[in-house]
Amino acid sequence: MAPSLGPARILLRIAFRNLFAGRAKTLIIGAILLLGTALVVAGSSLVESVDRGMRSSIQGSLGGHLQVYDDRSKDELALYGGMGREPQLEPIIDFSRVKEVLSRVPNVKRVIPMGIDQAMVATGNQIDVALEKVRADVRRIEAGERDDDLLRHYQAHKAHVRRMVTLLRDELRAARVLADDQLLQDRKQANEDLARAAAPAFWDGFERDRLGNLEFLENRIAPQGMEGGMTIVRYVGTDLDAFLEAFDRAYVVEGQRVPKGRRGILLGKWYAEEYLKLKTARRLDKIKDARDFQRRTIAGDEEVARWVKENTTQVKEILYQLDPIQAEEAAARLRRALPSEERELPKLLVQLLSTTDQDFDRKYAIFYDQLAPLLQLYSIRVGDTITIKAPARSGYFNAVNVKVYGFVHFRGLEKSRLAGVMSLLDLMSWRDLYGYLSPEQTEEIRHLKQVAGAQAVPRERAEAELFGGGGAAVESQRASRIDEAAVLARIARPAKAEDLSARVYSQLEIDRGVVLNAALILDDPSRLAETARAVDRAQRAAGLHLKVVDWQKASGVVGQSVSLFRIVLYTAVLIIFAVALVIINNAMVMATLQRVREIGTLRAIGAQRRFVTGMLLVETMAVSLFFGALGAGLGALAVWIIRAAGGIPAGNDQLYFFFSGPALLPTLGTTSVAVSMGIVLLVSVLSGFYPAIIAMRVTPVEAMAADD
Amino acid sequence: MSAIVSVENVSKTYHLGKTEVPALRGVSLEIHAGEFLAVAGPSGSGKTTLLNLIGCVDTPTAGVVRVDGKDTSVLSERALTDLRLRRIGFIFQSFNLVPVLSVFQNVEFPLLLQGGLTRGERQRRVGELLQAVGLSDHARHRPSELSGGQRQRVAVARALVGRPRLVLADEPTANLDSTTGATIIDLMRDMNERDQTTFLFSTHDQKVMAHAHAVVRIADGQLQARETLQAAS
Repeated sequence: MAPSLGPARILLRIAFRNLFAGRAKTLIIGAILLLGTALVVAGSSLVESVDRGMRSSIQGSLGGHLQVYDDRSKDELALYGGMGREPQLEPIIDFSRVKEVLSRVPNVKRVIPMGIDQAMVATGNQIDVALEKVRADVRRIEAGERDDDLLRHYQAHKAHVRRMVTLLRDELRAARVLADDQLLQDRKQANEDLARAAAPAFWDGFERDRLGNLEFLENRIAPQGMEGGMTIVRYVGTDLDAFLEAFDRAYVVEGQRVPKGRRGILLGKWYAEEYLKLKTARRLDKIKDARDFQRRTIAGDEEVARWVKENTTQVKEILYQLDPIQAEEAAARLRRALPSEERELPKLLVQLLSTTDQDFDRKYAIFYDQLAPLLQLYSIRVGDTITIKAPARSGYFNAVNVKVYGFVHFRGLEKSRLAGVMSLLDLMSWRDLYGYLSPEQTEEIRHLKQVAGAQAVPRERAEAELFGGGGAAVESQRASRIDEAAVLARIARPAKAEDLSARVYSQLEIDRGVVLNAALILDDPSRLAETARAVDRAQRAAGLHLKVVDWQKASGVVGQSVSLFRIVLYTAVLIIFAVALVIINNAMVMATLQRVREIGTLRAIGAQRRFVTGMLLVETMAVSLFFGALGAGLGALAVWIIRAAGGIPAGNDQLYFFFSGPALLPTLGTTSVAVSMGIVLLVSVLSGFYPAIIAMRVTPVEAMAADD
Repeated sequence: MSAIVSVENVSKTYHLGKTEVPALRGVSLEIHAGEFLAVAGPSGSGKTTLLNLIGCVDTPTAGVVRVDGKDTSVLSERALTDLRLRRIGFIFQSFNLVPVLSVFQNVEFPLLLQGGLTRGERQRRVGELLQAVGLSDHARHRPSELSGGQRQRVAVARALVGRPRLVLADEPTANLDSTTGATIIDLMRDMNERDQTTFLFSTHDQKVMAHAHAVVRIADGQLQARETLQAAS
């Protein structure tokens, strides 16, 4: 029998009995520790889950595992946008070099070229759409067709265009009151055109020169209707095939992939929903979403009620789309479906759209089943060719026409703005927009210059060549060199405009040229830090001037938000445990002082100092461990309950991204449990330290003191 | 007959702020095995100081205190504690039982610290002592459930359970009424006679003093005569 077993047993016995004797104190200390550990376990499990969700969102949609960009850039890379604008990145002139060097680094699976920017897109033009129908009719009539149905539709389509022109004229007339003289002067021609098109004489005489009049409407009138029909599109110019292979979250939801090597754009589906969809339909979707997923009601939520109200007051947008025949059909369908006796379409629409919580689902179905087939729900459709205008580095606007092949979604992030606002553009079109040249284009310009008699002058010698002076130091400015090229590119382009969309580019053409950054996909993501260092060594050895950042850093403000959550959580935890430390320490000091006589007695009877200090430490540790474990259990239970209840729903699109889906399903982190218990132990030892010292100083003499 | 305790020309001075308070001034005393000795004197005379020095809970400013042949001033804190554990039993004025332990556990406590006995041996020894002090029926009670006299009996049992050579009792009857006090002193004397355990207790009560074999009187930190009381036996 070990000699120390006896003392240890009595020590534990006294310690535990003391805990029960001071129940109130024990419970207060316990409650604080319980709260602290529960918060650590539940909180860090949540934060880690968000971290995982976001990691998955960023890595799978745009970030990859590592990103590289030019280390001479003014700003830092921010894949999801910086503070209100795109970061200014110095271009990587030849991506193929980067790809070649970095692909050789072990554990690097893919190198995806990227260039992110924003530009303006003309979101279709209702007059154009209507004119297209008229033109189709005219084509058949000119070909000699004369059936009644065609003629009836032709008249209806014409009436539609005429109504639009009239509306446009009225709109601009109202705007003119506000405009100044200079603007009026500039718009003189446009106004005269509009007045002509709105005049009855124009329509009376339309049949005399169908094609000529149609051309007049298309060239002079339709462009005027474009104003206000612009939205900003955010896109990543990339090697589309490589991108879709590397980022498994991206998938084409409608339409098809851009054929290999072709120019084309895949518009973000979320973007399309938010900015290209018919406003009425969009608002119905939002109301449905609010009711189905956010437990909001029309009656009980101001915002939802406002959407309903806006839908009933803004039926004009729908009416504008329908020609007389379609309008009649729509009215007939609505009368049947609602059902209603109402004759007028506008009033029928108001009836349809004044929804309540009771009839919303029925009316939503009527809208999509009956009315939607007659409408163009999105202002840009698959197959359309859109014009994207972007300010190039030179300050000029560059524009490209690019075909929309489809809409792209990011799996699990369908409702996230951060991911879904992104469209995917082919790299060649991106370079045109950005104002950079492929080596081939540079060659073409060189050729043009030769024809024009221009001489290629190396920059270092430019001053000498131009002014004949001795070679003064010229500050090398990369940006200006490129601007110069960009301006020339604009001159060069019109020569080969139309065939661009049909051209198939080789992989070499795609790779050789400018990009802004590149995403690296790794074979083994767990070796991220190590690979980042290897990539850095490789690019340094090759003199590529690259900066290597991980996905979190690359995602800019978005990536830092998890760090922010973490700081907030840890601060809260720190405060709670600091409070716990002070309170436990205080309570134990008080308890020790109250027990000076008892401790003195134990010492007099023959208990060693370490017996007494051990007793106190056991008391604090027992409380801490017991309530710590209980708290950890409670935190784990909370995590489990949240999971069982279907997770924390992503209330807004930002959360959707952080949660990497419609709800956050937290998983219990084993490390968080271990960490919480570690903290508890540390706190208990620290808080028991001072009382233990006090207890150690108690001498047996204290036992002798008489009562007073 | 060798002395269990020998106190040779011992002085003890306390410091209260800047003033020095002499508690003992050149005290010499020998205590022999089997004695039942009372230290008498008014309060402040130095009784408690003397007992503390003999009980190894304090060390003298000058002079030598030997307990069981060992000079206490050269022993380490740990060795002093061990000496108290194995050679000395304590009975306190305020009983000083551990409130969270039962009567049985309070008595058993020194045995657990000493170690070396089996559970059965401990139970037998504690049982015998509880019977001797008349508290067999209260073994499971907590000290708070007992009267003052009963508590002091528990303390007596606790002081004796480790079979010490010397039991020190500082004013053991001060918190008890005189009848109860007398029975405690009688109990102590019974124990003294049964096992020949040496007892040294302090008191200022004439009636209590009368129960001792011998009395040393102390006043102003100095010992007076040692009187042997015939009447007591």
